[in-house]
Amino acid sequence: MKLRGSILISFFSLLLVQIILSGLVDFGPLLFIAVYPLFIFTLPINTPVNKILLWAFAMGIAVDYFTNSIMGLNTSALLIMALFQPLIFKAVSRKGDLENQIRPGLAQLGFTKFALYALIMLVIHHVFFSMVESMGFTHFIYNLPRLFISIAVNTFLIILVEYGLFYKLMR
Amino acid sequence: MWGRSPILRGLATIILFLSLEVVSILLIANDSVFQRVKISGALMYFKSSISSATSDVRYYFGLKEKNEILLNENQQLREQLSKYKTKAEMADTLEGFSSVNPDFTYIPAKIISNSTNKLNNYIIINRGRRHGVQKDMGVISPVGVVGVVSSVSDNYSYIISFLNINQSVSARIEPSGAFGPLSWEGRSSDYATLTQVPYHIRVSVGDTVFTSGFSTLYPPDVPLGTIRRSSVIMGTHHSFQVKLFQNFNSLRYVSVVVNNKKEELNQFIQENEVKR
Repeated sequence: MKLRGSILISFFSLLLVQIILSGLVDFGPLLFIAVYPLFIFTLPINTPVNKILLWAFAMGIAVDYFTNSIMGLNTSALLIMALFQPLIFKAVSRKGDLENQIRPGLAQLGFTKFALYALIMLVIHHVFFSMVESMGFTHFIYNLPRLFISIAVNTFLIILVEYGLFYKLMR
Repeated sequence: MWGRSPILRGLATIILFLSLEVVSILLIANDSVFQRVKISGALMYFKSSISSATSDVRYYFGLKEKNEILLNENQQLREQLSKYKTKAEMADTLEGFSSVNPDFTYIPAKIISNSTNKLNNYIIINRGRRHGVQKDMGVISPVGVVGVVSSVSDNYSYIISFLNINQSVSARIEPSGAFGPLSWEGRSSDYATLTQVPYHIRVSVGDTVFTSGFSTLYPPDVPLGTIRRSSVIMGTHHSFQVKLFQNFNSLRYVSVVVNNKKEELNQFIQENEVKR
């Protein structure tokens, strides 16, 4: 019960952060803000993939609805990212990390590992995001600057949010 | 139940993922014109490629029937051609000779068993005595000589394949007109050797080799192959490696050559030899 509560807290707080960042501040066409993937990264370890997918769907739909983007765009990218989550986490983490049901955040993984984990997940998310946005690889080259800038900024933002919101709270 | 088998669990995950993804893509298509156009374009492409694939498959399964139709047509055409050739030959000597008996007629047949990997290869076809096949008849395909009928049963015939080191075919090289025996050396089923061509005759690589028509077995002008490499034997004769047109591995349909004037010719030869 405590676990579900913490998941809900992180769901709503990240949704709020995402809405505030992308809705209230205009960053121009070269940057899209995506902080909400942090929610999927930090779902407790050993969450079944089905559950992760359902959470991702809920998160994506909520973000799409509240941030005036194309309905379903964030959802599809987030779903693909969620499918890869256990795999990437296994690759990044130590073996012992998989045993207990912790929240894989900055405090638990350490800075380097968390940054790497976030970066890989964000690359997956952003590549699929831009693919779904332009429906194919036709504009992929033109999207590259946007992709790089967004990945860099979002990784930075996610580490910042993780540090600011959850680092001390969860410790 | 879902928890027990990892395969079922994986399957459930994939189904869940795909259904959620489809829902989100449907949402996208509902919401934005650009994506809708792209998605319907991709769907159209998918649909058209599937329909073209099915039509390919249908075409493939119709091939057998088509092959048989073509085979019969080929045979008829060949008989007509033979008839006309004989007519043309007769025309200068015998005016108004109407009922012409063609030199060669053909019996189409299907190969039942075939080998290419031995030194003495044999072929069995599904035509026999009942269909008019006799011993020592030649067997050809449109692009080469196949062999000679060695024994006949009521419905089947046993053919000594051209890929047999004891076999040879009298061959002629175009455009020089030189001729010699073409035989198989027992190595690759793609190559045969043409020997006994005098050294002074000029032949170039790529020249086409046909049957000469000097035997009673095969009609003239059946294409056999192209010259690939030449060597000189004893300083007096050429020996050519010939790339055969016929791929014996994929051979399915052949024609048995019936020489209608064979008896007459043989009898004539015998009489003359006896006289001598």
